[in-house]
Amino acid sequence: MSALFPRSANTVLRVVVVVLLATPLLAVGALYVYAYSPLYTSQYSQVAQVIQFDHRHHVSDDGIDCRYCHRSVETSPFAGIPSTSVCLSCHEQIWNRSPLLEELRARYFTDRAIPWARVHRLPDFVYFNHSIHVNKGIGCATCHGRVDEMALVEQVAPLTMGWCLDCHRDPATHLRPVQEITNMTWEPRGDRDQVARELMRQNQVHTRTNCTTCHR
Amino acid sequence: MKTPRPGGIEQGVSPSPNRTGAEPLGAHHWRSLEELQGSIEFQKALEREFPAGAAELADGLDRRSFIQLLGASLAASALGGCTSAPAERILPYTHQPPGLTPGNPLHFATALSLGGRAVGVLATSWEGRPTKLEGNPLHPSSQGSAGVFEQAALLQLYDPQRARLVKHRGVPVAWKTFLTELSRRLPQMRRSNGAGLRFLLEPTASPVLTDLETRIQQAFPASRFYHYEPLSDDNGRRGTQIAFGQALEPQWDFSRAEVVVSLEADFLASSGPHLRSTRAFAQRRDPGQPMNRLYVVESNLSITGTIADHRLRLPPSEIQTFALELLAEVGRQPGLGFLLGTFQGAGPPGGGAHAKWARALAADLFRHRGRSLVLAGPGQPPVVHGVAHAINAFLGNIGQTVQFIRALETAGDSGVASLSALADDIKALRVDTLVISARNPVYTAPGDLDFSSKLALVPNSIYHGLYEDETWRYAAWGIPAAHPLETWSDARGHDGTISILQPLIAPLFNGIPELELIASFLGVVDKSAHQILQEFWIGRAPGGDFESRWDQWLASGLIPASAAPVVSATIRLDAVAAAIQAAVKSRRAPAKHSNALEIAFCADYKVYDGRFANNAWLQELPDPITNLTWDNAALLSPATATRLELKRGDVVSIEYRGRRIEAPILVLPGHADEVISLPLGYGRTGAESVARDVGFNAFVLRDSSAPWFDKGVTVTKQKRTHPLAITHDHWSMEGRELAIEDNVQHFQQHPGELDEHRGPVEALYQVTYDKENYQWAMAVDLSRCTGCSACVVACQAENNIPVVGKQQVLKSREMHWLRIDRYFTGSLEEPGVITQPVACVHCEAAPCEYVCPVNATVHSDEGLNEMVYNRCVGTRYCSNNCPYKVRRFNYLHYTQQTPSSERMLMNPDVTVRARGVMEKCTYCVQRIERARIHSRIEGRAIRDGELTTACAQACPAQALTFGTLSDASSVVARLHRDRRRYDLLHELGTRPRTAYLIRIKNPNPELA
Repeated sequence: MSALFPRSANTVLRVVVVVLLATPLLAVGALYVYAYSPLYTSQYSQVAQVIQFDHRHHVSDDGIDCRYCHRSVETSPFAGIPSTSVCLSCHEQIWNRSPLLEELRARYFTDRAIPWARVHRLPDFVYFNHSIHVNKGIGCATCHGRVDEMALVEQVAPLTMGWCLDCHRDPATHLRPVQEITNMTWEPRGDRDQVARELMRQNQVHTRTNCTTCHR
Repeated sequence: MKTPRPGGIEQGVSPSPNRTGAEPLGAHHWRSLEELQGSIEFQKALEREFPAGAAELADGLDRRSFIQLLGASLAASALGGCTSAPAERILPYTHQPPGLTPGNPLHFATALSLGGRAVGVLATSWEGRPTKLEGNPLHPSSQGSAGVFEQAALLQLYDPQRARLVKHRGVPVAWKTFLTELSRRLPQMRRSNGAGLRFLLEPTASPVLTDLETRIQQAFPASRFYHYEPLSDDNGRRGTQIAFGQALEPQWDFSRAEVVVSLEADFLASSGPHLRSTRAFAQRRDPGQPMNRLYVVESNLSITGTIADHRLRLPPSEIQTFALELLAEVGRQPGLGFLLGTFQGAGPPGGGAHAKWARALAADLFRHRGRSLVLAGPGQPPVVHGVAHAINAFLGNIGQTVQFIRALETAGDSGVASLSALADDIKALRVDTLVISARNPVYTAPGDLDFSSKLALVPNSIYHGLYEDETWRYAAWGIPAAHPLETWSDARGHDGTISILQPLIAPLFNGIPELELIASFLGVVDKSAHQILQEFWIGRAPGGDFESRWDQWLASGLIPASAAPVVSATIRLDAVAAAIQAAVKSRRAPAKHSNALEIAFCADYKVYDGRFANNAWLQELPDPITNLTWDNAALLSPATATRLELKRGDVVSIEYRGRRIEAPILVLPGHADEVISLPLGYGRTGAESVARDVGFNAFVLRDSSAPWFDKGVTVTKQKRTHPLAITHDHWSMEGRELAIEDNVQHFQQHPGELDEHRGPVEALYQVTYDKENYQWAMAVDLSRCTGCSACVVACQAENNIPVVGKQQVLKSREMHWLRIDRYFTGSLEEPGVITQPVACVHCEAAPCEYVCPVNATVHSDEGLNEMVYNRCVGTRYCSNNCPYKVRRFNYLHYTQQTPSSERMLMNPDVTVRARGVMEKCTYCVQRIERARIHSRIEGRAIRDGELTTACAQACPAQALTFGTLSDASSVVARLHRDRRRYDLLHELGTRPRTAYLIRIKNPNPELA
């Protein structure tokens, strides 16, 4: 009487057992990979806006400081999206007939807000405050990347809690002099560690990692 | 727990007949009759940990079916989690308003009126949305604090049930239609001198409104203005007329009064300048300096009564007799003998039933002559007020502890008498056009006036109201009123200080400002309230540039030096004596009836006269005395309840002068015997759904001939019972020593008795939080706390705390982070009362933190016990392990159904919690972080006093203090070192950061 199962059935069984055991582990691993991948964190995806505002042109070509438009960044939790009147302060003089700006003018004269799409979005239970970061020497480019090279603004940092904590635990190497915060290309000169230590002292930086620092 | 020792620390105060010296300190505090009597229901409720049904969802789903559904929903949510977050839009301004920075709130000064007197407030406004009201520190009636009504006015502003449309006989019409109709009729009115024109307004001292009244009366000499507020202090004004021959308003100075006698005057709560009085009174409750002494004579237990050193329970009708007895005793003091002749026969011959009291009070008052104060409440007849003024005059208190200003209203009566006069006017068919802007007179009118059918006799009745309430239904025209936070006006504080009211937001529901409505009768239809107000003031601004002066008034919230001048007041002995003679003669003999009780009406601490009945914050606020939410109840003393065989929740039928209502009973220890007290303001039948079907309407029984109290009410028990949502049995701390009190003499001699309630505790593992720059802490001074509950509402507004409704409160699911425990001490008949605010005490060794499986509650290096909502999975272990029972769980998604208009009220600095999340007091961490960021940008430390929590900010008594212990000179650090300091449940070794200071009473040894 021949065997009910051929010898190869053993191998099949082993493979099946290994696959069954590995699947949940792999699935969990895959979820982790997904959660930290740009697919989930919405990094590097260009967000369409109702008006094609080009930071490259305004920052690199015209040399306008970030704070000209984002004017509450030093005083408020919210960096501030410029009111339409700020756009018009230049654009009633230049490019005042450009068809690209038709939407801008239409909304200005009918007093309708421009519905800018949010690019950097934190969950509602996170209370991020721009003013303290800027006043302690965290540059715009540190979190927002080289906005001066972006046609459409995209999110370069993962904005995960782990990423926040990396810096909150050891902010030294992310600091710069307060007067350089809007500089897109600032690099420390000389010994990086020494500059970092000096900046910690100079900017009176105090690391905060308590939950309520961000969650209230 | 500890070794019993002889002599309790609070033995001097209200010694309990049942208490032996061997009982542990504080163990005889009880929260309700059911607890004291050890009722089976109470025991069962305690043993259950959570009340019956707490494990079931609202729709009847039990735990088992919930878990079955859980699997399916988990799978569904896993799929749902695959989608990315919804796109969000940022909408910037077209023109950013000057001075406004998105993300930073602005503060504007304005004022809110109650009973015709304003309290200055500062409104916090986020991009045009007011989210919080706090007292204006510059305003004399507020001094920085705000009561429950002022703070809750904000929820009323956003109430989606407010009236929205001008209606004519129920049909929506345009405001213009009304103005056209009016302009068509005005010439006719002018020809007749306004013969049929009547106005019914709230009592007001507003200069611009008074000016409009004067101008209308000039234009229409035959027209008449009536003022009505059901709880108006007409008796007090008439009392000054008796005593001084003119209408005056007293200005009490409790900071100078060492002995205070209140004849049913609830001066620490609800009405009058109570915020100012509480501040000054509380400052004299610290045994570190000479303490004041308060005697209260009253029938219903009031907030003032709870903090009294001695309290005499008397039916309201007997208080007059006691006042006369006191006057006679004062007359027997050396040097005042001349009074005896004048007031011959004032007091009962040979001393009345309370001769010992009267003698002791008179002696104490006389010892402190010039530094004492006697005052009477609005419910007492004018003669009692006259007697109080007379006693003050004889003791030389006038000019010392009480001064007078001329009455700010020129109109005279503004209470029930005024409304009766209008009713007579209508009955005589003299009224053709009636403009009503008084709040809801159809509801608040005494039952015998039958004001609704009177209103039907007026061809053109115009009601200007916030809601489509009872009066709206009977008026021909309904005009939605602009909320005080939506309009321009002015008002006067209790000392006459003038405030300009400015709008915080454009009218949300098309409300029409009162000024515009009144001015339209002068033919002014094209001017806004702002223009009317400015035109009035432009000619009256003293000197200089009007614009800058105006801006300065708006910025500070008041016109400098506009308080009314103090006038001299000379007592008229003969007039007082004549009033006494008349009063004694006219006293009716009590009707003999087996079941007849005395009826008394009182203002409600939560809804006042019903105007706040649609305010869910106030409906859910536990009453400071009864801890009742979402209801009112007829209050009886335990002895009377026993005699009538009634218990809590029994429904009785109350009959008085042929009118009848049904009401549930609440037995209140300390209430006068044979009196039934009925809180006003409930049983509303207007269109407002929050107010509807809540409680019973006591105005039906009110009679215009005896608006405050009377004899001859019959109470009959019904078969029905009514569940009362009372919070005082929830979260019981099992009779441990929590609220501690002592009398000043005993405390001075035995200060060490508190040592077992404080100091270091032994622990295996010592953790310290003293490395950081700040060590946040709080101190609660029970000597100052009156239990007024302003802190509870402040916390609710600041921290986006949801309202859960009566059914949820019955299941102990109320969400208030801060509760005020009210304990009775001593006997049922003459209980002492102690109130104790309890929120999370931020233990340094917090039991909740050890048991959280997901680290959702952790400790900060500055000593905060942090609650991280986004980590919380809702095991509720923390709440189980919390010895203070201060954690609140979102059993349901309470905020889900928040109407869109009320969402505008949310504080954007605080997370709105969802279902399944635990929450609790955070020491207002959002304020700490704002202050920290602000100070660190400026490169300095947070200064003491720069930062405080919402509760401490609101407290009129300054019973709550917040600050850092790291600064030894801070107020909170000083209070933590105070010899009255103790820790709640110190023996557990939790090392709470909130310290309590024991309540000290200052009883009179002669009355011991």
